[in-house]
Amino acid sequence: MVLTPDFDTRPVISFQHVWKTYPTGTEALRDVNLVVPEGDFLFLVGPSGAGKSTLVRLLIREEKPSKGKIFVDGVELGRMKRRQLPNYRRKVGLVFQDFKLLPNLTVYENVAFALRVHGEAEHTIHARAAEALDTVGLAGKDQTYPANLSGGEQQRVAIARALVHAPRFIIADEPTGNLDPATAWEIMQLFLRINARGATVVMATHNREIVDLLRRRVVAIDAGQVARDDRSGRYHDDLSKPQIRAQ
Amino acid sequence: MIYRNLRFALNSAWQSFWRNLAVSMAAVVSITLILILAGVNLLVGHAFSQVLDGFRAKVSEISINVADGTPLQAVYDYQQQLAADPRVTSVKFITKDEALAQFKADPNNVVLAQQIDGNPLDAKLQVRVAKLDDVAAIDTLARRWSGVDPTDPTNYQGDFVNRMLGLSQWLGLAGVGLLGILVVVSIVIVMNTIRTAVYHRRKEIEVMKLVGATEWFVRGPFVIEGVMTGVIAAAFALALLVIAYEPAVDRFRSDIAFIPLSYDPGFVASLARDLLLGGALLGALGSYIGVRRYVRL
Repeated sequence: MVLTPDFDTRPVISFQHVWKTYPTGTEALRDVNLVVPEGDFLFLVGPSGAGKSTLVRLLIREEKPSKGKIFVDGVELGRMKRRQLPNYRRKVGLVFQDFKLLPNLTVYENVAFALRVHGEAEHTIHARAAEALDTVGLAGKDQTYPANLSGGEQQRVAIARALVHAPRFIIADEPTGNLDPATAWEIMQLFLRINARGATVVMATHNREIVDLLRRRVVAIDAGQVARDDRSGRYHDDLSKPQIRAQ
Repeated sequence: MIYRNLRFALNSAWQSFWRNLAVSMAAVVSITLILILAGVNLLVGHAFSQVLDGFRAKVSEISINVADGTPLQAVYDYQQQLAADPRVTSVKFITKDEALAQFKADPNNVVLAQQIDGNPLDAKLQVRVAKLDDVAAIDTLARRWSGVDPTDPTNYQGDFVNRMLGLSQWLGLAGVGLLGILVVVSIVIVMNTIRTAVYHRRKEIEVMKLVGATEWFVRGPFVIEGVMTGVIAAAFALALLVIAYEPAVDRFRSDIAFIPLSYDPGFVASLARDLLLGGALLGALGSYIGVRRYVRL
């Protein structure tokens, strides 16, 4: 099932004239405006160094904007206090290109870890980790170590870990970057299922085939600016389609 | 939830200590050496303070020599007057005969005693003063007394007392200074060791932070690991010091007999408390500082 982003619903993510300049003087983002409604599935595309990763880092509050405001679920990230950050990050599921799994922990322990840092009870951890592993199709591999899994399976573990605390937003930074086309497609199916359950998905990607096949919302970033915002877009600009320009 | 987090921190610290055993042991050895130095410093300080206490006891007692021919009643009156002085702890009158008997009883005076004809010694009032600082004032008072022997009024040696006081102050300061340096050095060692451990585990820390761990959740295992390292090092240092303490004092006494060092088994308990507490605190502080940069959200 293909969902169309509903721009009339309440925006859960909103970038308002956001600038990001690093201490080295590099201007990573310049006056970015972006609204993401609840339940949206959004691809961030653009060449390397365009500012996609900076945008993701701002969203997970690893960085603060130099100018402008970012609202997530009504909270301005730039003004969020450090002690509020753990709670915010528990609402977000994060998936990265390099999986970020802990090699000394089994598949089950990696997924359980996300709940353990929240101080959840052991029986809750067990039930929810098992459910998350079942969702990504790794129920039988819970005692395996990441090194013994394929790239696709490792990314599934990372997705299970992102899902385990039932986040409202999934932020994925090049989740298929290290995977072959068939595996990348399987992983995308997982993200679509998660989105269909109601989670908002923001995904930075270079995977042209997937973007072109899925025809979801595409925000192209170029030289730190939103160059294009298509409701049902392709990886490269397609002038025959109506565009939603940045505010 | 606090119990669960504490259990996680303890498990994590224990696992990390054994998983990075080479790094952990390097830290334990370094801190053990530092704590041995700190322990030696404490033991030497304690031994010298015992020696100084002995000296203080000696120099806080002065003898007032009574001139021959002073009426006994005048001596008793003066003894009472001194005893009533709040600065004075006790006053003992020693007659000429008692003074001679004491002189002869001292094995150092055997040859001299045989050559003595009659009794050239003065009777004396042995005055014990409560505070070392007041000895000079009592000496001045005694010298003004009419019954004092004008040729040799008292045995007070102001210079010696002042030097001893000065020396004890300097030794105390040097001890504190050395201890301060050792504390800083050991904190730096623990800090760098934990930083190495943190560097090995930076990926885990990054994941912890990204999935919503609080700073203390990340920091806790490292601080506990630091405390473990410090306490283990303190236990090693203590064991070595306890084994070496008595033989070292014996050796010192036989080599340098004029400094009356003594073995004090009672001090071991206080040394154990100081080293274990010190090790734990150093470990905790070193870890806290070492991990700070990495855990900051």
